[in-house]
Amino acid sequence: MPRVPYWNIDFGIVMDLLAIPVIFIFLYGFYRQWLLIRQGKMRVNPDVGKMIQGIAAFQPGAFFVRGILNEKLYRKPFSGIAHGFVFFGMAILFIGTNLVILNVLFGLPVFNGAFNQWFMAFGLDLAGVLALCGVVFFLLRRAFMPERLKLPAARKGFVIACGLLGGILLTGFILEGARLAAGSLEIGAFAGNLIAAGFIGNTHALSIHTVTWWIHGLLALSFIAYIPFSPLVHIVLAPVNAGFADPAPGVKMGVIDFSSFESEDSEEAPLLGADKLSDFTRKRFLDFASCVWCGRCQEVCPAHSTEKPLSPKGVIVTMAERLSKGQLDEPVWDNISMEAIFNCTTCAACMEACPVSINQPKTIMKFRQNLVMEQSKIPELMGKAIASLEQRAHPFFGTGSGMAEWRKDLDVPFFEAGETEYLLWIGCSVTYEQRAQKIGRAMVNILNKAGVSYGILEDFRCTGDPAKQMGNEFLFAEIAQQNIEEFSELGIKKIITLCPHCYNSFTRHYSKLGGDYEVIPHGSMIQMLMDENKIKFDKKPQRITYHDPCYLGRRNGEYEAPRALMSAAGNLIEMPRHKNESFCCGGGGGNYWAEETGRRINQERAKEAFDTKADIIATACPFCLLMLTDGLKKCTEETKAFDIAEIVASCLPDVSRSS
Amino acid sequence: MKTLIIENIDPKKIGELMTVSQKFCEIPDIIALGDGPVPGKFGKVWQTPKTVAANLISSVVNIIQEEKYEIILMSVSTLGTGLAGPLSATLSAPVVTEVTAIHPDRVVERPIYGGKAMIKQKLESTPAILTIRRKYFEPATLDGTTASTPLSLDADKVRLVAEKNEQADGIPLEDAAVIVSGGRGVGDKDSFALLQAMADQLNGAVGASRGAVDEGWASPTRQIGQTGKIVAPDVYFAVGISGASQHLAGIANSKCVVAINKDAEANIFNRARFGLVCDYKKILPLLTEAVKEKR
Amino acid sequence: MHIVVLAKVVPDYLVPSMDFELKDNRAHERYSRMLGLYDENAIETAIQLKEKTSAALSLISFGSENDVQFLRKAAAMGVDQLILIKGQSDDAAVIAQNLMAAVKTLGPVDLILAGQQSADMDRGVVPGILAQMLEMPFIPQIGYIDSKGGEWAVTQITATGKRELEFKGPGVLSITSIPENVPRIPVVRAIFAAKKKPVTKLESINQGKMALTELGVEIPKTKSICEFIDVEDMNAAAKTLLTRLTEERYI
Repeated sequence: MPRVPYWNIDFGIVMDLLAIPVIFIFLYGFYRQWLLIRQGKMRVNPDVGKMIQGIAAFQPGAFFVRGILNEKLYRKPFSGIAHGFVFFGMAILFIGTNLVILNVLFGLPVFNGAFNQWFMAFGLDLAGVLALCGVVFFLLRRAFMPERLKLPAARKGFVIACGLLGGILLTGFILEGARLAAGSLEIGAFAGNLIAAGFIGNTHALSIHTVTWWIHGLLALSFIAYIPFSPLVHIVLAPVNAGFADPAPGVKMGVIDFSSFESEDSEEAPLLGADKLSDFTRKRFLDFASCVWCGRCQEVCPAHSTEKPLSPKGVIVTMAERLSKGQLDEPVWDNISMEAIFNCTTCAACMEACPVSINQPKTIMKFRQNLVMEQSKIPELMGKAIASLEQRAHPFFGTGSGMAEWRKDLDVPFFEAGETEYLLWIGCSVTYEQRAQKIGRAMVNILNKAGVSYGILEDFRCTGDPAKQMGNEFLFAEIAQQNIEEFSELGIKKIITLCPHCYNSFTRHYSKLGGDYEVIPHGSMIQMLMDENKIKFDKKPQRITYHDPCYLGRRNGEYEAPRALMSAAGNLIEMPRHKNESFCCGGGGGNYWAEETGRRINQERAKEAFDTKADIIATACPFCLLMLTDGLKKCTEETKAFDIAEIVASCLPDVSRSS
Repeated sequence: MKTLIIENIDPKKIGELMTVSQKFCEIPDIIALGDGPVPGKFGKVWQTPKTVAANLISSVVNIIQEEKYEIILMSVSTLGTGLAGPLSATLSAPVVTEVTAIHPDRVVERPIYGGKAMIKQKLESTPAILTIRRKYFEPATLDGTTASTPLSLDADKVRLVAEKNEQADGIPLEDAAVIVSGGRGVGDKDSFALLQAMADQLNGAVGASRGAVDEGWASPTRQIGQTGKIVAPDVYFAVGISGASQHLAGIANSKCVVAINKDAEANIFNRARFGLVCDYKKILPLLTEAVKEKR
Repeated sequence: MHIVVLAKVVPDYLVPSMDFELKDNRAHERYSRMLGLYDENAIETAIQLKEKTSAALSLISFGSENDVQFLRKAAAMGVDQLILIKGQSDDAAVIAQNLMAAVKTLGPVDLILAGQQSADMDRGVVPGILAQMLEMPFIPQIGYIDSKGGEWAVTQITATGKRELEFKGPGVLSITSIPENVPRIPVVRAIFAAKKKPVTKLESINQGKMALTELGVEIPKTKSICEFIDVEDMNAAAKTLLTRLTEERYI
């Protein structure tokens, strides 16, 4: 006999009628969320295509992959699979329930034949069992919370949510068991059959069924009503936030237009950065509302994991609490310390790990911009680097090495307008830091060997990236404008960079200031020369591990070219944390000029590299090289860290290692 | 040429100026500041216990004009610097500060651009005022003392309220034969104890680079460099000091620089006579021990 | 109250030695120009004093018209007005005379601060000459300044410690660097506001030269060959070093 909805139930219509206010409560709850989020500033950016409500353009692909399929959750297999069980289990059960409704309304034949057996009976039972497993896992984890959930605070409401879910699932099974016990067992309904046969006698089946039906229905309605007022709100907000996230990788600070400061009344000019909730955009408000306080960001954060004051979770949670309490205009400095804000290495590991697509570094950087540009607050060494950038267009104050030294005894042509194809952009560290100078020398040797038409600038200037990272967007803009002008005069179209920070500046920020170039990181350039057979070298019997610079990897998605080079030069072995899960060297975000508290990030990373037992630790960023070189001194007296260009140059015939 | 030295009573400082004065005259005169007998043989000697430059100017000017001195010598210090400008203005005299070498024909040499260049200038008239950078001239041995007459002074323009000596412990850096100096590479304040232990064994003094002083690991009076003290020990141990040009300016006259640095590329090795590329925390205790054994 | 701070725009004083070149006996003009090292300390000290005493703060500089853009930084830090004397001399007496003339255009001033020495000529003598010309006391190497019951209480940083001094009336002080006068980084709003602050340009007088002839400027050649001691065995390294130091009679 096929299943009959509302069987054994009197006045079942009452439940249907109750569903109407529940749907209203649900919708009202989300309308309230929208009221919170719309307090944020509307973004105005002509570059972004069709902007919705001043939040961002909607990306259906990201919405589906990162929002619905939850791709990032599975990096933590246990909680990922448990979440998958609950989410997809409940999704299937929700579909099952809706099929029942369709059966009632339109007589959709769902209770017949194979479909009933495989989906409505077996499928839904399986979904229920898996979801229940997931719920049990989450309840246990709430009882024994890992640090990432506890610190600085655990979000309340998850236990109630899990309790509701567990209740719905359990009553569902009892209900099914009672129905089957009163009638006959059904092929496929393995869980229901088990309960019917094992626990529910024929005598009470009907009354158990009636009572449980009402409990199950009421729990389900409560759950739906609870969603927008609890952490469960992420069921909707997380996919929405994923859909609105910027599709390009990395933090993307954009550029600031300072023209309003030029006007007569500069007091009226907008606040730079942020010092309170209301300074943020609707997208950031959506970030804060979406956060489930899972702490995955905190766990991967190089600052937090080396006992520094910063926790990206802490920052987002602070803002989320302010959002829920409506504290829009209180300055945040009582809750978020200046030290924490400058701890951020802008490595973007947090946003890479975030399952709900929050951009934590952007919030942190907004605070940093405010500290530097509005309050003149900056740690002393960083301040000196900034002052040096402002005075002499490079941050290496007090360096003993310079232009004359890096290209000593080397044949380096100058860029000639109309003649030269590529500008070889040297960058500040390669010019002014003795160890990093060797990267430039190696690259020059490679380019000379390959016969590339390239040249360098006669006068040197930084890209301005360190200023930007330290929050001084104004200084960045000034330096960038000067460079763009000079590039235009020389007719520069193609640029080879030695440093991912320069690369990131040129591609991400110069384009927004009117400088569009074809920019090639040196690793990709060398790979191109190798593919074109312009340089040839033999593999050496050496084990090489490669450290992904954050600004090349996570921020710009370039993982393969350096690996291809290293595989050609030796045997590539990977560190436990690599590619998009790579761990920062500690030098990003201007922290090359920081005095670290707690353990030192570069030593952690150097040890990880050293422990691979590789002969050579390769990287593709001068700052990473300097940080790793320093960090390695704790592990070994040997010099093991090299730039990919140095390694390739050392494999080239006729180019001596000492170059 | 008739030469006048103006200096605090300090045998090393007076000795250095005595050496310089030999280039101009046989026996110089002196205005000695401070208490106690004036060491060395001089022609005329005036003395006052007052040491604040601003209060001495009119009396000193009177003496220079009355005695028709041609060369006025002082060392680079708050006294010398405090007097040089005002004396030059009152006497319409040429003034050259921070002199490091004296050539024939009244040609003097001094560093400019933080020591990256040297300028030679000729004194075209007398009196001429020179302040001498310390540790560039061997101090002459001062035999005996010379009796002084008191220097009469006007009322004080500037009142000395208190004077704090922050270098009470240990040997003054300028006079130490051995200096063990630490930079940012030392890492923390406590580790300066390792440097102190070694300095103690060698009867030396502990110095610091600007970086270490900025960190608060060493007192500013320990700072060596263009912006700190100029030193000229026999042996200068540079521990964890990278060797910025400003620091090198302060140790230019050290006879032997021993650089201990983990970074083989550090600029200090370009100035050093001996180099050790290693962790100073490992080598310093061994060195201290070796010195102890040797004594 | 009116405080004056003197500052000089100089070529980059941190050019690495190997990059340093001369042109016409002066640092090559290609180096970036900037406020002098101690001048920035003096400006910071003056601004802190201005904030404490609500004084007016004027900056006087002797240099070229092109220097104004670098002096703006001082305005952004908190200086109220800029006065530039257009002149080229490197003669201390000429510079002091011009500064005196500029100070006199301001009427009575209460205190004049200057950096301990300019970061190009490294002389430290101009403030002393100026003080005498203005008949004010000159005190070099000052770290801290306080205004106490109509008198100035200042702390002089000497080679061996500190000296507390007091004086009445105006004076000229040269400022040394202390942790408390690390120059601030101007906020962006102030940088834009500084563009609107007044700049007075004065013509210079070129007389009263000091009786000094410049004969030449040279970059000293320092050569040192470093003997690296093998540190494979630390104990042996310590012994080798001591032996070498004794052999060469350094110890």
